[in-house]
Amino acid sequence: MSLLETLKQKPGALVACDDDPEAVFELMCSKGWSDGLPVIPPTAERVERMLAYCDRDLDKPVLNIPPRFGAATPVRIAANAVMAGCKPEHFPLVLLALEALADEQYNLYGTQATTHPCTPMLVFNGPAAREAGLNAGQNVMGNYFRANAVIGRAVRLALVNIGAAIPGTGDMATTGTPAKFTFCVAENEEQSPWDPLHVELGFPLESSAVTVIAAEGPHNVNDHESLNAEGILTMVAGTMTITGSNNPYYPGQPLLAFGPEHAATVANDGMSKADVRQWLFEHATMPLSRFSKDTIERRFRRKLAAQYADAPLDAPVRMFAKPEDLVIIVTGGAGKHSQYVPTFGNTRAATRVLKRADGTLAKSLNDFKRS
Amino acid sequence: MGQVFLVVPDAPIEQAVQLNANRTIGESGIRLGILDNTKGNADHLLNMIIEGVKKEFKVDSVVMTRKAASSRPAAEDILDKLAKEADLVVSAMAD
Repeated sequence: MSLLETLKQKPGALVACDDDPEAVFELMCSKGWSDGLPVIPPTAERVERMLAYCDRDLDKPVLNIPPRFGAATPVRIAANAVMAGCKPEHFPLVLLALEALADEQYNLYGTQATTHPCTPMLVFNGPAAREAGLNAGQNVMGNYFRANAVIGRAVRLALVNIGAAIPGTGDMATTGTPAKFTFCVAENEEQSPWDPLHVELGFPLESSAVTVIAAEGPHNVNDHESLNAEGILTMVAGTMTITGSNNPYYPGQPLLAFGPEHAATVANDGMSKADVRQWLFEHATMPLSRFSKDTIERRFRRKLAAQYADAPLDAPVRMFAKPEDLVIIVTGGAGKHSQYVPTFGNTRAATRVLKRADGTLAKSLNDFKRS
Repeated sequence: MGQVFLVVPDAPIEQAVQLNANRTIGESGIRLGILDNTKGNADHLLNMIIEGVKKEFKVDSVVMTRKAASSRPAAEDILDKLAKEADLVVSAMAD
């Protein structure tokens, strides 16, 4: 039986619409099923083609997405992936990202509903990222590259449509961030002087993985002049030490995305990722006096009294609680720029490796193809 | 113009089992539960609510609880305590 015939038997699973792209877009917007941009109509036929790369039970929820705790079945997720413009072979990575977001330590409930402008940053590693066509080079956090655009968009649409992260009711972000449209990158493993993130976390090099971080938009680190590691890291530390970030108050896992040229300069001075973390832990600090008088009194002295009740105004405020909390990747193309990504704070990064339904590591996106 | 059938991309609200609260408020008054979500000024707001309830109703006891973090659900032991020791619970956030 076709998906169309199956869904016709489920009340509320289908909606009829004039067969016209503008009519479909109007319907989607009127129902609140949109990110404000035009979508591909999620016809049953297209959703069925999307599910050709899904080896899961199509009606079994992968997760329940807060704040509505809507059941995210592969069928519903596939409808959102179609709308976003995904190819069927992108679908395993959309599912993988949502599975990672379900990790309790990520705190999807809090990050969906907060006033803070955070959104899931998706960092993909391994061969599946290359197979899907994810960009890891020039303009990696920008526009133009389909896989980066549509995989991140599909996840956001699922969060809105299935989870009801609707601005003003379920998503209480004061301003939000343009990164909510999509924030999806691959690590530039070929040009990284260090182990890629998933290997550092203990997964095999040949595996594929996603790491999700509740991220603000990226903050640029422009450094065209520094010729050694200390110089580059001094500029990074300057960009990290901002009073408006959540991270001085809440333990979190901010991310540092080195551009390959900055990474090479740092690594050529003999620094490992652990060395970078330790250096920034010690140097990415600012004195308590940088904060407003009220913030010092109300936030630091009262809410963080154990640490700051009697601290002098020159006491150092750190941007992360422990050196190992800083997530480091290498991504992007030629040029002397890196990116610092602060986080929501009450959240931890979550990583999931790409596996088939039977639990074995997937070697290729084709492993998910239904026979 | 023809019509197409689109797969609905949202999910319905799961129908929770409807439980009627079996309150047996005694002659000694309401056992009032308070859940502070830790947001700034939530404690002040809740104290004002407690005083307001006490002016309007007979209050037997007040059980104060506080979440570990505003962005996380209340822990099970807190919910158990409130279920056991309160007839009704006021939860509030402020900033």
